[in-house]
Amino acid sequence: MLKYEFVEHTADLTFKACGRDLNRVFENAAEALESTLVMLEDVALRETTTIEMTSDSWEDLLYDWLTELLVTFEVNRFAVKKCIVNVVGLSLSAECWGERIDPNRHTLNTEVKAVTYHNLQIKKNNVYHAEITLDV
Amino acid sequence: MTLAELQRKGDYTWEVPEGTTPGMRVPGRIFLSDNLMKFLEPGAIQQVANVATLPGIQKWSLAMPDVHTGYGFPIGGVAAFDATEGVLSPGGVGFDINCGTRLLATTLFKEEIEQRIDRFLTALFQAIPSGLGSKGPLRLSDTELNNVFSNGAKWAVNSGYGDPADLTHCESQGCLDGADPSKVSPLAKKRGKPQLGSLGSGNHFLEIQYVDQIFERKAANLFSLEDGQVCIMLHSGSRGAGHQICTDYLKVFQGASRKYDIKLPDKQLACVPAESPEGRNYFGAMAAAANYAWTNRQMMSFWVRNVVEQKFGATATLVYDVAHNIAKLERHSVGEARKEVYVHRKGATRAFDKDSSYGIGQPVLIPGSMGTASYVLQGTKKAMAASFGSTCHGAGRVLSRKAAKSSLTWKAVTENLKQKHITIKTDHLSAVPEEAPEAYKPIDDVIEVVSKLGISKTVARLVPIGVIKG
Repeated sequence: MLKYEFVEHTADLTFKACGRDLNRVFENAAEALESTLVMLEDVALRETTTIEMTSDSWEDLLYDWLTELLVTFEVNRFAVKKCIVNVVGLSLSAECWGERIDPNRHTLNTEVKAVTYHNLQIKKNNVYHAEITLDV
Repeated sequence: MTLAELQRKGDYTWEVPEGTTPGMRVPGRIFLSDNLMKFLEPGAIQQVANVATLPGIQKWSLAMPDVHTGYGFPIGGVAAFDATEGVLSPGGVGFDINCGTRLLATTLFKEEIEQRIDRFLTALFQAIPSGLGSKGPLRLSDTELNNVFSNGAKWAVNSGYGDPADLTHCESQGCLDGADPSKVSPLAKKRGKPQLGSLGSGNHFLEIQYVDQIFERKAANLFSLEDGQVCIMLHSGSRGAGHQICTDYLKVFQGASRKYDIKLPDKQLACVPAESPEGRNYFGAMAAAANYAWTNRQMMSFWVRNVVEQKFGATATLVYDVAHNIAKLERHSVGEARKEVYVHRKGATRAFDKDSSYGIGQPVLIPGSMGTASYVLQGTKKAMAASFGSTCHGAGRVLSRKAAKSSLTWKAVTENLKQKHITIKTDHLSAVPEEAPEAYKPIDDVIEVVSKLGISKTVARLVPIGVIKG
């Protein structure tokens, strides 16, 4: 099972994230987003930050989670390399490790404008699958 | 959804009949030539049909010839909704609110700069912040940022970034009425504050171009364009401020769509009645982002002019500035009546038949893909009747970014540009293949459709010699 994979979408960037439970799906989706923004190999686990939120559905929670990571990257210039997510009901708490972006050491990839609701879905077969499209 | 479901209505017009998708209130119309039909994705047809289900839609759900699958609305989509009974939809505007194009015409000619193109490009690259998360040089106060949101390009001109005459050459004079900074979230302000005066990344660019061919002499003269003249084209938008405003309101509208009992075929189409509190709040915030974008492009023009003056002792005048991701309150003919409608243009450009500053059809700026020609068009009466005064916005993608990256290398793409005598500067070489000409439809084919259809007139063709890719 791949943690995540990018699939074809003409305008934007779509990826599928998988996991044995919801927590893994959220963690893997975070990695897919962060790897779109920056070369994660160069990011060290220097600092941590905590994110907590509550939403109306799993899909909304995933949208809010990824949007929060995007804002953390853009506003605080903080790249998340690893995170431990704990989803309980429709609430999420996460501990995120990474470091502040240093243009001399980090290679930036693609600017992501936003997370979209386009075909946004979380499904459960044997494992959980989520599909997310980013506007880039 | 298949191509077989389309009905041909003319050489360049294809109809998506009502009933193709349950709940369609009007038919869809897609403007394409036979040549461009091969690029039409079933997903894009479905999106044209989905938009036709939204309350208050007038006449048709339209797609311009640069159409491709977007999220919610297709890119290249145009839809007008009754101002009192219709809806506003953030997905019909897009995340990059008032992403748009601006053209400056310099007093320089191609042969004057050919030998100095590297120096010219380097100076522009140093003067204009570009790339992922790029920041502008200003440190705005909260009050100044609110002024930007309220007054748009007027704020920039009043603060010394340009000439009052520039405002007359901007769509909506660089300021959309009804902007309300109090409807912009603190997070959107936080994202937008450091980025004012920056190009950004992705498909945003600055190009040094020259006028390669003129098709309409009179219009070209009025727009101050002549053969061989050097122009600067800018493509950028409202940066993080606009992205966050769209994100915020999509979330609000998810719940609100249910509250107003609007059935949606796709979550990204979330919409509310334009006259509802949520609708008014979104319009206030969207107009604020549009004004931010006009200010952003105005400030970058100021730095372009500084370079042109300091390096070459020349000047540059603003030809025009157009938005291609926006919703605007306009009056259009629907049947016998004139009606107020909210026209949503998502990857489509206004092409009005009259512009007050030039006295003829407005200039329409259509950028090609990186390394290919761009066009200056003119709005027409036909556009007023056939497309709510709208036309295409660019070439339109055909290859996904993933496919472009896996089939092309940055070395091959830059080598190809070099052979065409085009110099490129970027901080972001690995992303160059994503914007390669091969990833887009041929711009000449797109222009042929809008011109043959009569929704725009071709005025001039511009060819790039230097590119700054954001």
